Parts: sequence; structure tokens; C-alpha cells
Amino acid sequence: MPSPADERDQPLAGVRILDLTVVWAGPYATMHLADWGAEIIRIESLHHFASFTRGTLARPSQALVDTSSTSGMGYPEDRAGEHPWNRSPVFNHHGRNKRSMTLDLTRPEGQEVFERLVRESDGMIENNLPPHAEELGVTWDRLSKINPRFILMRVPGFGVEGPYRDYRTFGNHMEAIAGHPVIRAYPDLGLDYAPASVPADAASGVGGALAFTLALRQRERTGKGVYVELATAENYVPFLSEFVLDYSMNGRVWEQMGNDHWTVAPHNAYPCQGMDRWVTIACTSEDDWRALCGLMGRPGLATDERFADMPSRHANRRDLDAEISAWTREHDAHWVTQRLQALGVAAGVVLHESELLRDRHLDHRGYWQTIEHPETGVQQNVGRLWRASDTPHPPARHAPMLGQDNDYVYRELLGFSDEEYRAFIESGHIGTEYDASVP
Amino acid sequence: MLPMDDVRIVDLTQYAMGPFATRVLADYGADVIKIERPGGDPARRLGPFPKDVPHIERSGAFLALNTSKRSVVVDLKRPEGRDLVLGLVERAEIVVESFAPGTLDHLGLGYDRLRAVNPRIVLTSISNFGQTGPYRDWKGTDLTLYAMGGPMISQGDPSREPLKTGGRAPGYQVGYAAALASAVGLTAAERRGHGEHLDVSAFEVLAHSIDSRLGRLLGYQYNGRLVGRAGSGLGVGSGTYPCLDGFVLITSGAPRLPLTIRMIGREDLLDQPEWATLEARSHPDRVPEFDAYLLMWTLEHTKEEIRAACQQYGVLGGPLNTTADLFVDRNFAARGFFQTIDHPEAGPLTYPGFQARFNTEPPQPPRKRAPLLGEHTVEVIRDVLDMQPADIDRLRGAGVIQTREEVRDAVAS
Repeated sequence: MPSPADERDQPLAGVRILDLTVVWAGPYATMHLADWGAEIIRIESLHHFASFTRGTLARPSQALVDTSSTSGMGYPEDRAGEHPWNRSPVFNHHGRNKRSMTLDLTRPEGQEVFERLVRESDGMIENNLPPHAEELGVTWDRLSKINPRFILMRVPGFGVEGPYRDYRTFGNHMEAIAGHPVIRAYPDLGLDYAPASVPADAASGVGGALAFTLALRQRERTGKGVYVELATAENYVPFLSEFVLDYSMNGRVWEQMGNDHWTVAPHNAYPCQGMDRWVTIACTSEDDWRALCGLMGRPGLATDERFADMPSRHANRRDLDAEISAWTREHDAHWVTQRLQALGVAAGVVLHESELLRDRHLDHRGYWQTIEHPETGVQQNVGRLWRASDTPHPPARHAPMLGQDNDYVYRELLGFSDEEYRAFIESGHIGTEYDASVP
Repeated sequence: MLPMDDVRIVDLTQYAMGPFATRVLADYGADVIKIERPGGDPARRLGPFPKDVPHIERSGAFLALNTSKRSVVVDLKRPEGRDLVLGLVERAEIVVESFAPGTLDHLGLGYDRLRAVNPRIVLTSISNFGQTGPYRDWKGTDLTLYAMGGPMISQGDPSREPLKTGGRAPGYQVGYAAALASAVGLTAAERRGHGEHLDVSAFEVLAHSIDSRLGRLLGYQYNGRLVGRAGSGLGVGSGTYPCLDGFVLITSGAPRLPLTIRMIGREDLLDQPEWATLEARSHPDRVPEFDAYLLMWTLEHTKEEIRAACQQYGVLGGPLNTTADLFVDRNFAARGFFQTIDHPEAGPLTYPGFQARFNTEPPQPPRKRAPLLGEHTVEVIRDVLDMQPADIDRLRGAGVIQTREEVRDAVAS
């Protein structure tokens, strides 16, 4: 547990942020702000379960638990347990250091509590479908009147305004709109093999934390609240700037590049000894290429006219990949990496989670944080996104169980009496379990 | 007024990761002084180029990564060059660098030296593996760093090689993290009255990927299962499907499947026991069965029809855009996202717009074009360092700095 002195020394200590975020992009933004000392209060409803935030469903069937397990989103020992919402791996990673209160914003008394929270806080982050957020009373117009120094950051998929404002999406769809899956799909398979992944959510998390941090600075300078909008699709397009510029310059459209680089070869993931073992190799210079040929025991390849210079290697990259694969198949992925790195060539094993957790470099740097969670036990969690030389880095508090901090928020922060607190329990605002009607 | 328009940044980065970080901070109003070595940032040699003809002022990567910055050419290997940079550091809030670890110390610009001239300075160091540790000096690229840190093992088809992300996206995520680190570091420095050294490791930033790495790292510890590229986990009725004029991406899953069933006009399914209950829809056999139904429907519709239907029925779905599609997408257009920026050498080009929008008054002006090599050498040394013309001429003559004239001469020869 962090000591009070360590908490005071965090860069964002004393900043209180209301967190109405769901799924991944928003929660990842507040994860960083919490890591660096902001008090993040998640506002959650006992009557509504946002899928993929605290798991797929509040009360998943064993079949759904088993499905989750095979996709890496499984529960401890493949059992959902009595409180599945406290045992979801993604939530328990990004939820660290945050607080959880429960409140039903769809009812008038919920809105009264919400207004008091807005008065007592520096700002709020939400990433709901824009019309849904607005139905809950989350608009800049309203919140800035309640608290003129408030910072509201909204992280919609496509924009708070615009033709797609009510367009439901996950990160993978925003990324598809931004043009990413078409670029990264396999060169020789249909686009239906395009991978479903969401680096756009990770980008929004970092961009959101950055925008909020700078909004705080802006407020200190002007004395006035700030409204920030960060649309995930717009946030991600700059990650594909070269493609946008090439289209603008030359009308060129890049599709299905797989692991290819625009100009560099070799540049791929190569199969190694064992099941699902791969090493990535990128030879960015003639020296790199000759070093690889030497390690392969094939110095003649370096003078093979198909591979004599970078443009030739790139043009004949499938032949090149076949030559390298024939060699890597006979070797251990870590051996190939170590040997190539010793020669100054960029190479890296495609690491499974188990290996990453045991990686000697990360271990040496003290990257992992040991966090004990009351409902899942002790696990290793990723470190902070960067190290700061003069900031204490105590281990984080575990992700909050649903409603864990109700007492702190309602009584300590907002000053409700015992009687009022009991009334909020009876009316279904305060609790630690989803309402029985929630699937 | 922009959040960082009172902040000066000495930018010692080159290539892509670091320049992405300072490009973002320039968007927020920071005065980014880009120190380029004689000959320029090697990113000036990265494509794309107009008509594919290389030119140091026409690199698409460089142009996009260096908007709103000022270019100053200094030879850091010369003691007078180092002193010029120290002078700028004295008048700056943040230094960002992306040299191989140890290089900055070697140049006489290590953190202790910077702190000696300016105790409030924040130094953000970006590297492949961090400033310490056994892999400190390892080489890395977007591909190899994403393979090690990122969730590459879970990306792609189970029967094929794992897939990286497109272009330089992993490095840009690292750059974005460095921008965040710099902003948080600045906040800390302003509170404490002294700066600190921030160590941003690409390997560690990519291990942070919320796109499956974070979940799987805990998931593996929960049940000991390594899942590789076993599927998206998004459930029945989820995937990429061909349609009349391209491909669409749809995400359903058992709980939300009735919405998709209605969208494709197969309400009749909901009367059948295999589809009526959540439990039944969760059965793995439903996945290929429903894919067949969905495919029959998508093949008869266009991308735009499917996007509109998804919006109407509340289904998570939409088209798989190509880069060309971005330029005609009506949402980007209506929101005025893309920016056209003119450039004396590269001409007017379309650039991605701002990543975040602040309600500043007056509204945020468009970005300024990327600088020509050495365009601001004289201006910065004269105005920021208050140096006299005679001294500037002496530094030019000695080859410590290059102004536009020397750069033009160098290019001509």
C-alpha cells in the first residue's frame, strides 16, 4: 500500500476526477491519471452493466465463461464466482488505484448526488455513445454551470457532433473507419482474415490522459473550466500519417501489407522450433543483412542477385522469407534473437504472456507490480507507463470492487448522514452487487 | 490560448517515435525547437515523396511528424554546439531526446548537466528498452518491439504467422506516451519547483497495450491458459465479412445477437430453441451457423447500406475503409478533420487533423507546416539566446551551426 507521503508526492495528487468510462479506451485514460496520483472515482450503476467493462455480462453462464477463457479474458480458475464483476482480468488491470461508487444517474435523486459530485471534483471523463451520455445529463453546457472550473473530457468513437455521433462501435470499428485493418491484413489472404484488434483504444487512453493533464494546466492558467473532445477515430488517423500523405501526394493506396515494411526486407515474423514460436527480424542496412547471412552460415546469399541490395531484397521478399524461415525453423526463437542482437541486428521473439512475465530485462528493471486483490489473489501487473526519477513508485492499490468506496464518497466526501446513506441503499443506489434483473 | 503556449521544448529527437511526441506537444501550443544535425533529421530521407523522388524537404513522414516546429541545425559533437543547446535548455521547460542510451552523457548533455543549468528542466528520454537493464543496448524497430512488448502473438490467424500493426503505429504509441510523460513531468516540476528525468521504454509502453495484452497478462495468471491467436473473443456474429463493394466489420456476441438477427431480417430465428436464449446462442456451434446467415445478407448490401443498417439497429459494425475512403468519409468531412497545409517545397497536402479539440478562445489555429532544414537557426539563436550577429557569423564560419544559406550550399554541392 502506498504511504500517505508517497501519495502526496505524486504529480496529480489532489486532483479528483469523476470516471464515467466504459470498455477500454476511457478506462485506460483514467488508469494513467490514477497511476500518477489523481483520485479517480468510477460512477457505476447497479442497474446497468456495460458489456466488456467488468466482463461480458454481470452473471455469465459457464458456457460464456469458457468462451471468455479461450480468448484470454477468462476468470480465475475458469469460475465466474459470486461476484464475476470483480474478477474480470481487463478491468482488474486498468482499474488499479481507482475508486468505485454506485449511483443510478437515471433517477432524479441520482442526478442530485451527481451535481454534488461535480461541485466537489476537478473534472470528468466519459466515453459513452454521445446520446447516452447526454441522456444522463453529461453536457458541457450543464456541468460548466454547476462548476465553472470543471473540466469535461468526452471520448466518443467518431465525435460528439457529426453524422456518426449515434453510431455504436468498439475500438476495432473506429480503427476500421480510420483505415487500419485493410493495411495490416495478410498479403495473400482475403480481408476476412484481417485481425480484430484495437490499438486505437490504447491510443485514446494515452491521448485522453494527455489531453486531461493539459486541460488541468489550462485551467490553472485561465481560472476557467475546459471542455475537451477526443474522438477515437480521429485520434488514431495520425498513427497512419504516412499512408494519408502518400495518398495525398501520389494517390497511392496501401493494402494488405501484413508484416511487410514499405522498403525494408527482410522484415517479418519467422517460424522457430516449437509450437507457435516466432522470431521477428528487421535488417535495416547492408551490414544487418550480411550479419544475418553470416549467422545463417549462408554468406553466398548476400551476393545472390535477388538479394544483392535493399530494393532487390524487397522486390524478392517472399523468396527471402522462405530462405530465412528454412533456417529459423531449426532454431530456438530466443537463440536467434540473442545471436542477432549480439551482431547489432534488430530481432525479437514474439512473446507469449508467460514469457513476458518472466522476462529478465523487465525483471531487472522492476517493471512488474505485485498487487493483491481480495477476490482474485496475488498477481503481477504492468508497471507505470514510464519511470520518473523523483517520483515515488509504490505498488498500486487493487482495482476497486463494485461499490467498494460508497462509504467514502457518500459519507466522507459528500457528507450524507447515516439515515440518508441507508435510504440510498434501500432505493438501490448504493450496493456492491448488480440488481437481480441485470443478466 | 493553448495549454502549452508558454512552454519551450528543446527537441533532440529524430526519426519517428520522438518527433511524434514533440509534434503532439507542438499541437498543444509548445514552442518546439528541433535541433537537427548537419544534413538533417534522417526522417527527411523516409518516404513517401511526391512522385517517389527523394528530397529532404519533401518526405511525407517528416512533414507529418514535424508540423509547427522550428528547425535549428547544430553540430552537437562540437563543444560550442553543446553550449548552444545548454543555453536553450536554460530557457526551456522540457527536453525530449531519443538517442541510444548513454549518448546524451557522452555528448556532455546528460541529465546532471542539464539540471545544473536549469533545475526545473524535465528530461524525457525515449528508447527501445529503457535507460537500464540487460537489453538496454539492443536494437529495435516497430516490428521487433511490437513482437516483444505488444500483443502480436494474439494478432492474426491461428494457422499463420502473427501480424504486426500497420506502418509505424507502435512507435507512435511510444511517442504519444512520451508526450504524456512530458506533460505529467511538467506538472510535477511546476508543483515542486524542480524537474526530473523520465525514462520511456518502447518495450514497456507496448506491454501496456489495452488491446488484449493487459487482459491476457492477468488472464494467464488467473487460469494458466495461453490463448495465442485463438480468436477475437467477441463471440457469435463477429468478424470481417465481404459485401457487395468491399468488406465490413461486425461485432455481435451472444447477448447482443438479437439486434443483428433483426438487422438481417431473420426474426424467425428467435423462435427457434437454438437462438432463443442467451445460453443457446453462446454455444460454439452457433458461430459458423450464424456466419452463414450473416454472409448471405452482407453479400447483398453495400458498405454504406450496412453502415446505415448497423446505425439503425444498434449493431456494432461498419465498413473496412481504405486510406482513399478516409478522404470521402462524410463524418471526417462534416467535422473538418483533415487539414490542408501548404509547403514551399512539397506543395499543398492533406494531413491528419488534431487528435483532441479544446474549447479555447480564440479557436485553435491550423498547424504550421514542417520547417525547412535550418530555417530557424538564426532566428532562434538571435531571439532566444540573444546572440549578436558577429557571434552567429563566427559559429556559421566554424561549422558549428548551419543556416538556410549553408544548407542550400550543401544541397547544391
